[in-house]
Amino acid sequence: MIKAVIRVIGRRLMAIVPVFAIVTILVFGALRILPVDPAQMSLPPSATIQQVEEKREQMGLNKPIWEQYAIWFKRAVAGDLGESAQYRMPTSSVVFERLPATIELVICSLILAVFVGTVGGILLFSARGTPFESVGMTLTSAVMALPDFLLALLFILLFGVLLPIFPVNGRLDPGLQVPAQTGFLLLDSLLTGDIGIFASALRHIALPVMALGLAFSPTIVRVLHSSLINTYQQSYIRQARLRGLSDREILFGQALKNAILPVVILVGTQFGSLFGGTLLVEMIFSFPGLGNLMVKAMQTADLSVIMAIALIYCATTLIFNSLADAAAYLLNPKLRTG
Amino acid sequence: MTERNILHIRDLDISLGTGDKILNGVDLAIAPGKILGVIGESGAGKSMIGSAIADTLPVGLAISRGSIEFDGLTLTDMTAKTRRDLLGRDIGFIPQEPMTALNPTLTIGQQVGRHLARIGIGSARKREQRAIELFTEVGLNRPGELLKNYTHQLSGGMLQRVLIAMAFASNPRLVIADEPTTALDVTVQLKVIDLIAKMREAHNTSVLFITHDLQLAAEVCDDVAVLYAGQIVERGEARSIINEPRHPYSRCLNLATPNLAGPKTRLMILPKAMPSPLERTAMAGCKFTPRCPIAGDLCIGTPPPLSEISAGHRSACHWPERTETITPPPLKADDENTVLGADLVMKATGLGKAYRQHDWLGRVRRVEALRGLDFEVREREFVGIVGESGSGKSTLTKLIVGLEDITAGVLDVVGMDRATTPRERFFDRVQLVFQDPQSALNPRRRIGSLVTQSLECRGSGLSASARKQLAKDLLAKVMLPPDMIDRFPDQLSGGQKQRVNIARALCSNPRLLIADEIVSGLDVSVQAQILELLRELRKQASFSLLLISHDLAVVRHICDRTLVMYRGEIVEQGPVEDIFTNPQHAYTKKLVAAARGNSGLYADATEQEAENEAF
Ligand SMILES: Nc1ncnc2c1ncn2[C@@H]1O[C@H](COP(=O)(O)OP(=O)(O)OP(=O)(O)O)[C@@H](O)[C@H]1O
Ligand code: SF4
Ligand SMILES: [Mg+2]
Repeated sequence: MIKAVIRVIGRRLMAIVPVFAIVTILVFGALRILPVDPAQMSLPPSATIQQVEEKREQMGLNKPIWEQYAIWFKRAVAGDLGESAQYRMPTSSVVFERLPATIELVICSLILAVFVGTVGGILLFSARGTPFESVGMTLTSAVMALPDFLLALLFILLFGVLLPIFPVNGRLDPGLQVPAQTGFLLLDSLLTGDIGIFASALRHIALPVMALGLAFSPTIVRVLHSSLINTYQQSYIRQARLRGLSDREILFGQALKNAILPVVILVGTQFGSLFGGTLLVEMIFSFPGLGNLMVKAMQTADLSVIMAIALIYCATTLIFNSLADAAAYLLNPKLRTG
Repeated sequence: MTERNILHIRDLDISLGTGDKILNGVDLAIAPGKILGVIGESGAGKSMIGSAIADTLPVGLAISRGSIEFDGLTLTDMTAKTRRDLLGRDIGFIPQEPMTALNPTLTIGQQVGRHLARIGIGSARKREQRAIELFTEVGLNRPGELLKNYTHQLSGGMLQRVLIAMAFASNPRLVIADEPTTALDVTVQLKVIDLIAKMREAHNTSVLFITHDLQLAAEVCDDVAVLYAGQIVERGEARSIINEPRHPYSRCLNLATPNLAGPKTRLMILPKAMPSPLERTAMAGCKFTPRCPIAGDLCIGTPPPLSEISAGHRSACHWPERTETITPPPLKADDENTVLGADLVMKATGLGKAYRQHDWLGRVRRVEALRGLDFEVREREFVGIVGESGSGKSTLTKLIVGLEDITAGVLDVVGMDRATTPRERFFDRVQLVFQDPQSALNPRRRIGSLVTQSLECRGSGLSASARKQLAKDLLAKVMLPPDMIDRFPDQLSGGQKQRVNIARALCSNPRLLIADEIVSGLDVSVQAQILELLRELRKQASFSLLLISHDLAVVRHICDRTLVMYRGEIVEQGPVEDIFTNPQHAYTKKLVAAARGNSGLYADATEQEAENEAF
C-alpha cells in the first residue's frame, strides 16, 4: 500500500518537468517583452550608456532570447539560480531566506481554513432545515465574495486600528531576535524555549493567517455541507439508522469519512490559489516572505529572483496536489483495492 | 388462547399534510415465528408500513390514526429514543439494494463489528468470533477474509447475506425485509429467500416480507396481505390467496404475471392506473372500481368492508365469489404462429469482444466480454436473450448498435457488415429501447416532437401538420390517446413513458428493435400492457425483436427463440418452449430451476456468487 501511495505521488510529480518548462518559458518571455531593462535597473541612475551597454553584454542580454533562456536553464538545472540584481547575492540564498516565513504562513492558514471549514460545514449541515442554515449560507456567500486581500484590510481596520489587539506588520516585535535554526519562527522559538518570542510571532502572524485562512474556509464549509447532504441520501445511511445507530454515530462513524473526500480534493486543487494569495497579503502586512520579495523583485525587474519564486510556487502547488491525491486514494477503498 | 402477536398493526392511517391518505385503515398481525407477505404494486404503500414501524416516515407524512404494537409494547406511544433502541436489537431490517446498503469506505468487519458492539458484545475478539459464526451460518465462505473486504469486492448476493447476518445477529423478534431480492440476479434470488426462511426458523423470528412478486410470496410466506391504494384488499393464508384469490385485484395480478409453465395465455390487462392519494380521497366506494372487470353500481358509492369469507381469509369486495369468473383473454389464432420472413436481419459468426482495461495505476489487462457468438435473427423473429448480470448481454447490444468496436468475428446487421459500415448507415434500421423509460426522453420536449424526433436528423421535409399526424398515428400504435402529443414526459406514468419510447423507436420503421430490460422495474400490470403491446405490434409491423431480459417467463411469453448467455458465451439456443421445458446446459437448468421457484436448495454462497466476487 505504501508503495502504491508512492507511485501515486510519483506519477503526479512527473508532471513537474513539463510544468516547470512551460512556466519558466512564459515568465522569461514576459519579462523580456516588458519595456524594462534589467541592466539599467541594476546600475545607479548616473551610469553612462556605455556602462549600461557593458552590463548588458555581461548579463547576456544581447543574445537572442531563446539562447538566454537556454543559458538560464542550464545553470538552473545545475543548481545555480543566478545572482539577484537587487541584492547582489546569490538568488538562492535570497529566496531561501524568505521561504520559511511564507511556508509558516501558508501552513497556519491551511490549518485554520480546514479547521474552521470542517467545523463550520458540520454545524451548517446539522442546522439543515432551520433558519440557521440560511443564515450560514448567506454568511459564507458573503465571505466567499470577499477576496483575501480585502479581508486582510478589513482585519487591519478591525483588529489593528479600531481594536488594536494584533500588530499589523512584520513577523516579530522590533528588537526581538531568534537565533535562526529552521527559519520557522514559531518552531524556532519553541525549540529555544523562548515563550516571549513565540507569543510575539504568533500575534504577528495572526492577522495574515486569518485573512488567508478565513477567505478559504467558506468554500470548504459549502463543499462539506453539500457533500454531507449528498451522503445522507445514500441508502447505507438509512440502513445504519435502521440498525438503531444514533445521529452522532451516523455523522461521525458513517457519513463523515465519505463526505470528506470532496473537501480533500478541493484543498488539493485550491492550494495553489492559497499560496498565490500570500503575495498580496504579505505585502499588506509587510510580512517578510516570498510574496513580498516577489513584489520587490518585480519592481526592480530582478529576473533571476522572479524566476526562482515562480519555480517555488509551481513546485509547492504540485507537491501539494499530489499529497491530496494520495490522501484521496487512501480514503477511497475502491481505488486502493480494485 | 393463542400466543401474543409479535406485530399488531391496528387501523393504521398514514396521511399527508393535506389529509390525503397513504395508508388507510391497515390491520395486520404476525404471530411469533411466522412470515407475513405484503404484496402490491408500486405506490400501494408497502414500504410505508416498514417506515412506520421504524419511525422513519418521510418528512410530511405522519401516522394520523391507529396504533402499532410490537411484542406487547405500543410503539406509537413511545419516545423516539426508546423506539430507536429497539432497532437493530429487537427489530432487524433487510434492505432492497444490498449493493448500496453498506458503507463503501468501511470494511465489512468494521460495520459488522460496530453493530455487534451496539448489541452488547464487549470485546473485539468476541465480536470477530461472533461475526465469523454468523457468516458461516448464512453460508458465506472464508468469513475471516470477508471481514477485511470492502463492499465493492463482494457480489450483491454475498452482501445480502452479510446484511441478513447482521439483521439476525441479535436474535430479533421481528425482521422486516423490503423487496430483499428485487436487485439480485435470478439465480441468487431464491437462495436468498431460502436463507431468510431458514434464518427465521433458526432464530424463531417473525418476518414482514414486502414484495411485488406474487409467486415469491407464495413460496415463502405463511400469510399474505394484498395492498391496493393504501388499503388491504385481501388477507389470509398464502396458498389460498395465490391459488384461489377472492378479490378481483389479486386475481388480476395473478393473471397479469407471465408464467414459465402451463398453457400460454394472453396476459390480463388492467385498464388505467392505481389512484393517487389525492384521487383516493375523492372516491367514496371501492378504490378498485375504475379498473375492476366485475365492478357493479354498488361499488361506486359503498366501500366494501374487509370481511371474512372463510376461516382466516378476508376480502374487501362486495362479490368475492365472482372473482373466479375473471379469466384471461384467450390467445388468438395469430398470436403465436407468426410467419417469419426468409431474410436474416442479423447474423453473428464467431463474434467476440475483448476490452483492454487500465486500472488506476495504468496497468493493462485484457477482459474478454464476449467469446465466439454464433447466432441468427430472422425477419419478424422475436428472440430473447437471457443470462445474469455480467454475462455479456449489454456488451452485445453495444456491438450491434456500434457503440463498441468488434474485436473478433463478423457481425452482419440488416445486410451490412457492422465492423466496416459507418454508424449512420444503420440509423433507422436498428432502434434501441432502454430499461429506464425516463432517461431517453428530454423532459423539455413534448411527446409529439419526441416520438418523431428521428425525422429531424434525416431531414424528411415533412410539414408540421403531417408530422403531427404521424405522431398521433405512432401513439395510436402503442395505444396512447392522440391528445398526448402535447404533454411533457413528466406528465406520464412509467408505463406510458415506455410506450412513448417504443413509439419513438417505431417512427423510422426499423428492421430490428433491441429492447434492453424494457419491462424490468415496471409493475406487473404495466409489464403486461407492454408485453401484449409488443405482441400486437408484431402482427402489424414487420420488425424483429431482440428482447434482453433476466425474466425467463417474460421471454417465454412473447419470444420465438431464446439465447442463453453465460460468462460471455452463448451456452444454449433454440425455440423457447424447448429450452424451458428441456434445458440441456447446466447453467440453463439452474436458471430454469431458479425461475420455477423450486431451487429448494439452501447451499452456501454458490460458485456463481464466489465468481462474481472475483470480478
Ligand atoms: N415523501 C413523500 N411525500 C409524499 N408522498 C410520498 C412520499 N413518499 C412516498 N409517497 C407516496 O406514498 C405512497 C406509498 O409509497 P410506498 O413507497 O410505500 O409504495 P410502495 O408500495 O413501497 O412502492 P414500491 O413498490 O415502488 O416500493 C405513494 O403513493 C407515494 O407517492
Ligand atoms: S367491490 Fe366492486 S369494484 Fe371493488 S373489487 Fe369488488 S367488485 Fe370490484
Ligand atoms: Mg417500496
